[in-house]
Amino acid sequence: VSRSRSFAAARLACASLALALPLTTAACAGDPARPRTFSTDWLDDQGKSIGEVQARLRGARPPAGADLVVAVAGPKADKILGLPLLGAAPWTFSHALDSRPIIAGGVVVGAGGGELFALDGATGRRLWGRAVKGLTLLGAGDDGGLTVVALSRGAGSTLLVLARDGGVRREIETERPIGAPAIVAGVVFVPWANQYVSAIDATTGDELGRVTLRDKVSRADVIGGALYFGESAYVRFDDKIAMASRSGANRIAVPARELPGTPRLMVPGDEKRPTVANALDRDRLFARPSAPDGPIGIDSGRFYASYYRLVFGFDVARGQLAWVHTHPSDVIGADAVMGGVLLCDEEGKVVVLDGRTGQVSYQAAFGEPIQSCVAHADSYRSGPSAGNAPSLGQQITEAVSNREASLATAQRLLLRELGTLEDEGATKTLIDLASDPRTAPVLVTDARAALATRRNGVEYMLSSLGKHYDFLRDVLRSPPVGPIADALAAMKSAKGAPLLASHLLDDADTEDDVRRAAAALATLATKDELATLRQFFAMYRGGAESEEMALAVASVGQAILRLDPKDGRALIERAVKDPTTVPVARTRLEALLAASPADPKK
Amino acid sequence: VKPILAKLKGDEGQIKAGLDDARLAGPTAAGAAPAIAEVLARGLSLPLTQAAIETLGDLESEAASPTLAQYTTHRNSKVRRAAVKALLRTKGPAASAALRRALSDGDPVVRGTAASGLGSLKAKDVVPDLFLALDHRVNEAAASIGQLCSMEQCEALAQKLGKLPFDVVTGGLDQVLFRPAADVNDDAKVKIIGRLREQGTLEGNKFLKDVQKRGVAAGWSPRVKQAVEQAVLATAGGAQ
Repeated sequence: VSRSRSFAAARLACASLALALPLTTAACAGDPARPRTFSTDWLDDQGKSIGEVQARLRGARPPAGADLVVAVAGPKADKILGLPLLGAAPWTFSHALDSRPIIAGGVVVGAGGGELFALDGATGRRLWGRAVKGLTLLGAGDDGGLTVVALSRGAGSTLLVLARDGGVRREIETERPIGAPAIVAGVVFVPWANQYVSAIDATTGDELGRVTLRDKVSRADVIGGALYFGESAYVRFDDKIAMASRSGANRIAVPARELPGTPRLMVPGDEKRPTVANALDRDRLFARPSAPDGPIGIDSGRFYASYYRLVFGFDVARGQLAWVHTHPSDVIGADAVMGGVLLCDEEGKVVVLDGRTGQVSYQAAFGEPIQSCVAHADSYRSGPSAGNAPSLGQQITEAVSNREASLATAQRLLLRELGTLEDEGATKTLIDLASDPRTAPVLVTDARAALATRRNGVEYMLSSLGKHYDFLRDVLRSPPVGPIADALAAMKSAKGAPLLASHLLDDADTEDDVRRAAAALATLATKDELATLRQFFAMYRGGAESEEMALAVASVGQAILRLDPKDGRALIERAVKDPTTVPVARTRLEALLAASPADPKK
Repeated sequence: VKPILAKLKGDEGQIKAGLDDARLAGPTAAGAAPAIAEVLARGLSLPLTQAAIETLGDLESEAASPTLAQYTTHRNSKVRRAAVKALLRTKGPAASAALRRALSDGDPVVRGTAASGLGSLKAKDVVPDLFLALDHRVNEAAASIGQLCSMEQCEALAQKLGKLPFDVVTGGLDQVLFRPAADVNDDAKVKIIGRLREQGTLEGNKFLKDVQKRGVAAGWSPRVKQAVEQAVLATAGGAQ
C-alpha cells in the first residue's frame, strides 16, 4: 500500500539522527515488531510502540514556533502578508496560491502555480521551492531543521520531508488520505484514517510506532512547546499517550454547550483550505491547551467562538458566556493565544482580545483588506486590556442591536443568555428588540419569550406599555404587551394595570397580546380600570372572532366579577344567559360563576 | 320611535328588526339613538354590532358619537370602517376626536375615511395632524386641509406642489380657492394661483382652466378672476 523512496541524503540523515537518538537505529533498520507504514493489518499494541517513541523523544521539545499572522491578500489572492506579533517588521511575498498558506514552526509553507514553497516566517524570505504538479497542500510541520508537508493527490497522499534548502529527505506515497502532520526531533507524526497517528522516522520512512485514539484525529499540531493530536479535542503527546487507546491519554475538549452556528474547533487536517475565507472560517471555535506539562487544561479557563463579526468568550469551568465582542467587520481568522484570542478581520486588522474581559489588548493592521488569514502564537501572550469592560448585559445589547441578518443565529443565543442576567438593562434590551420593526422575526419571538420570564425592570415595562401603534408617528410595531403582562402578573405589579387595560382596546395589538393582557388584568386590575373592562366585555363577548379573544373576554369577566361583586356579577350572569355570547367565553364565564357563588348578604 | 325601542329590548331577531326600522326612518328616528347605543354597550354579535353602528350613522344623532367612537378601536376593520363612516354623520367633538385618532389606524381605508371626513367636521385644530397624514401618503387629507386651513396652512399646502402628486395637492387647493372670501381672503387665493402658475405645467393649466370656469359661478372677486386668467395664459404652452 505504501511506497517509501529514499534519496541520497536519507542515509546520512538517518545516521545523524541515530547519533542523537540511539533508538532510531532500530527503527532505521526496520524492526519487525513495528507496524508497516500506514498498514491496515496492524493490531493495536495497547500503546507499546507509541510509548517507546514517546520515551525516545522525552526531552526533545518542539522548538518554539513563530508568533505570526499570515494573510492572503490581493484581488487575485496571490499576495502573502506576514505580520509578526512580537515587533518584527511585516513582510510581503507574491506567489500564485492554490490553497491557504500554513504556518509550520518558524516557516510558512505555501503552494500554487505548480510549486510548493517555504518562507522564513520572521522575514518572508523564500527558503525553497519545488515543483509539485497535481498535488494539493493539506498540512505541514517543522521542527526547526526539517519540514514535513502533507499533500493530497486525488485518492492518495504524499508526505514530503524537506530540509531547509528544499532538498527532499524522504517522500512517502500512500493510497490513504492523511491529515496534517507534525515533526518533532526528526520523527514525523501523521494522523490518518481518523483514528491513528503514525510516528515515522523522517529519514528512513519506517513507522516507529502508532497510536489509536478514541477521538477523531486528523491533525498533529505543536502548540506552546507540546505536541497534540486531534480534531475535536486535544490529545497531548506525553507520557500518558500509550494509554490513548484505553482513553487514558491526557485529553482536553471544550465543554459541550450551545454555540452560535456549528463551529469547528480545528479544521480537519485532510481538508484543503481555500485562499479566500468562506462561511466555515466565520463560524469557528478556539481553545488553547494550557501547558506542555502537568495536568492538561484550557489556557486562561476560556474558550472562544467566532460568528461573523461576533466573538464569544466562554468560561471553561461552567461553560457560561463570559463576554461577547462585537467586531466592526467579519472575523475571518483567529487563534487562541496565551491569555486571549487573536482575531483578523476582512479589513486587514489584527486584534487580540483579553480572554478574561473580551476587551482589546493589542491591535495591528496589514494595511489592506485581506482574503483570509492564519495565525499561530507559541510564546506570545495577550496583555491585560486597559479600562473597565462594560457589563455582559451591555455587551450583549451591543451585539444583538446589530441589524446584520447573518448574525441572527448568534443573536438568538445571546438573547437566551440575556434572559438569564439579573440586570434591569437586560429587560430594556429585550423590550427594545421586541418593539423594533427592524428586528428579525425570530429574534422578536425569542425576545418576547425571554421578556415574559423577567422579574425586574418594571419601569422599563411600564414605559413600553405607554406606547401604542401610531401610523402617523411611525410607531409601526406595538410593544410586547403579552410578555410584559405575563411578567407584571408574576411580579404582582398593579402599577401596570391601567396601561394593560389601554391595550385591551388597541386593535393593533395581536390577539395573543390581548389575551395575555386580559389574563394579567384578571389579577392586577383595580376599580379604576372597571370602565375599560366593561367596554371590552361589551365589544367582544358576542363579537370575539377567535379563541384568543374569547379567552380574553373570560379573563376580563373574571376581573369584573372580582372588582364589582354585585353589578359585575349581574353583567356576567346576563352574558352567560345571552345566546349571542361566544361559546368559549360563555363556558368559561359559567365556570367562573360556579366557582364563586353569589354572597347572599350583598 | 316607540315600536323601535320595544324591539330593541327583544332577542337578536327583534333587535335586528328594530335596527332595520330605525334605518328606514333615518334622522327622524334620532330619538332611538340612545337606546341603540345602550344595546351596543351591552354587547352584540358581530353582524348586529355592525348593523347598530350603521343605524346610528343613519340617525345622524350627535348623542351616538361617544358610543361610536369606542368602536373605532374594534379589532375588526369592517366594524372600524363602519364606525368612522357613522361618525362623519353624527359629528360633534367626540366624533372629531375619534376621527383624529383614526388617522393613525393601521387600516388605510379607516385612515382615508377619517382624513376625508375631518374637513366636513370643521375641526380646524386637526390640520397639523392632517398634514402629517398627507406626508404619510394619506392623500384624502389634502381635501380636508383645503377645507380647514388657515392662510399659512393653505400656503404650506400649496408648497407641496411638485413634492406630492399634482392631483392630490390640487384636491386640497381646489377647496381653498372656492372657500368664501371671509374664510380665505383674496391674497391667499392669488398666492395659490401664483404657485400653480409657477409650476408652468400643462396639468396646472388644465386645472386652472377648470377652476376658472367654476370661479365665475362662485362669485370670485375681479382680482382673483384676473389672476386665474393670467395664469391660464401663462401656462398654456406648459410642460407635460
